[in-house]
Amino acid sequence: MIRIVTLEKLDPADLVFLTGTLYRAFGVGTEHAGEKPVPPEAETTDGRLDAVKLLREVEPIRTFADDKILFITGAPLALKPGPLGEPPCWGFAEFGGARAVITTSKLPARGASEASIEAYRRRLAREAIHAIGHLWDLHHCYDPRCAMHPSWSPSLPANPEMDLDTFCREKSERKVRLAKT
Amino acid sequence: MRGPPPRHPEQPPEQFPPVEGVIQDAAELKLGDRVVYPNQGVCAVVGFKEMDIGGTKHPFVTVRREEDGALVHVARDKVPTIGLRRVASASQMEGVFHYLAAQFDDPELDWKVRHRDNADRLIAGGVLGVAEVVKGLHSLSRIRPLPTKEREQYDNARHLLVHEIAVSLNVPPVLAEDYVDYALMPPAGVKFDLKPPPKPVLLPSRPKKRIAAVEEEDDLGLGDLGLDLDLEGALEGATPVAAAVEGEAAEGETAEAAGEGAAAEEEKPHAEKPAKAEAPAKPAKAEAPAKPAKAEAPAKPAKAARSAAAKKPAKKAAPKKPASKKAPKAAAKRGGKKK
Repeated sequence: MIRIVTLEKLDPADLVFLTGTLYRAFGVGTEHAGEKPVPPEAETTDGRLDAVKLLREVEPIRTFADDKILFITGAPLALKPGPLGEPPCWGFAEFGGARAVITTSKLPARGASEASIEAYRRRLAREAIHAIGHLWDLHHCYDPRCAMHPSWSPSLPANPEMDLDTFCREKSERKVRLAKT
Repeated sequence: MRGPPPRHPEQPPEQFPPVEGVIQDAAELKLGDRVVYPNQGVCAVVGFKEMDIGGTKHPFVTVRREEDGALVHVARDKVPTIGLRRVASASQMEGVFHYLAAQFDDPELDWKVRHRDNADRLIAGGVLGVAEVVKGLHSLSRIRPLPTKEREQYDNARHLLVHEIAVSLNVPPVLAEDYVDYALMPPAGVKFDLKPPPKPVLLPSRPKKRIAAVEEEDDLGLGDLGLDLDLEGALEGATPVAAAVEGEAAEGETAEAAGEGAAAEEEKPHAEKPAKAEAPAKPAKAEAPAKPAKAEAPAKPAKAARSAAAKKPAKKAAPKKPASKKAPKAAAKRGGKKK
């Protein structure tokens, strides 16, 4: 089961679109599990949220074994800088774990037109699939059409696909089948 | 460090150059040490014990794979040879990232060589070898999609690299993967201030081809068995038959020259090449095609002539055949058609 937890208000229609897309992508039931406050420990001095701390400090959610929890926040996320600097953060997940967080701050503006709303939803769904994919042990994929392709990649098209490629889909299906529940 | 088994019995076992951090003696290991088992990932040493195998007690080191908790028992005397090594240090990791971010437009295009080298790098290349596999296959994937096996190899290499980076830099694996892809696929407009990357992993040179066999391909050893089969004659007809007989006769002659020595030489009126006479013990087949002059010999050794006469009367004309007729035979031997 995939449980979506919002850390701030999200349009119900967007949530419906997101749950449907996640269900189709992984074949696992998906639901909105409510809203939680942002843990103050995760806030940094520059107004961003430390993604690692956020997942550690956020209020617990009632889950069963192999449930995956996706947090959605509107605040930008921060990561610890690496040897070559800090990579752009669209989301963060515990690899093979249970919790992931994505941010809507880097998505295209939702706007008011149907086209812009559609583009926003598709991109939100793509980032959600990407984060949940990490929870199912998927690594980044070199194929720009796959949702597991890094979100900052220059080869990513303007309106990327919100689906997994064959290799990642088969791998995630294997992992889902092997799950205890 | 020992490499893969030799591909040819005469080939000496390959030796990989030592990789930084490789554990040369099991005595270096202590409980709780984190080591990298090639192709398996980061493991923690959880015990030392003796196990009874075939009635003999053998000392083993037990390591637990951190990813899934699987236990691996490694014989203590095998520790130096399997490539068990320490987790890469921060300075090594920095070199890896500078290597990943460096320009690389020259992926190996021969899939056999690439797959073999990548497998060697994963086994014995250290963390830089794993990074080389990831970068090489990533570069190739920009040219064309990877085939399934290499896609799996790429995914495995990425998995190993990400987990070692995560352990080495003490960060979550997803963050380690972000670091890797930030180096491999930097966002538009981002330029890194790169240091010279470390030297690539040295792999043992392998022969491009198999060691040439001593015997020729078409030598079936029939001459040694005393068999005189006229296969070409049966297939090709009169003229090539004659040529074939010439060849056979020449071979028989040489064989006899080896066996009978001077007797065969006496029957030849115009003494053949001195080299031939001086080396009677050389294998017959190796010399026969290279010396057309031998076919012109009017007098054949007794054995060859007897066998030829017993089989086909037409073969009697063979000794008188001019040397120029040898060309069709050579063509026929290569599979060409007779005219």
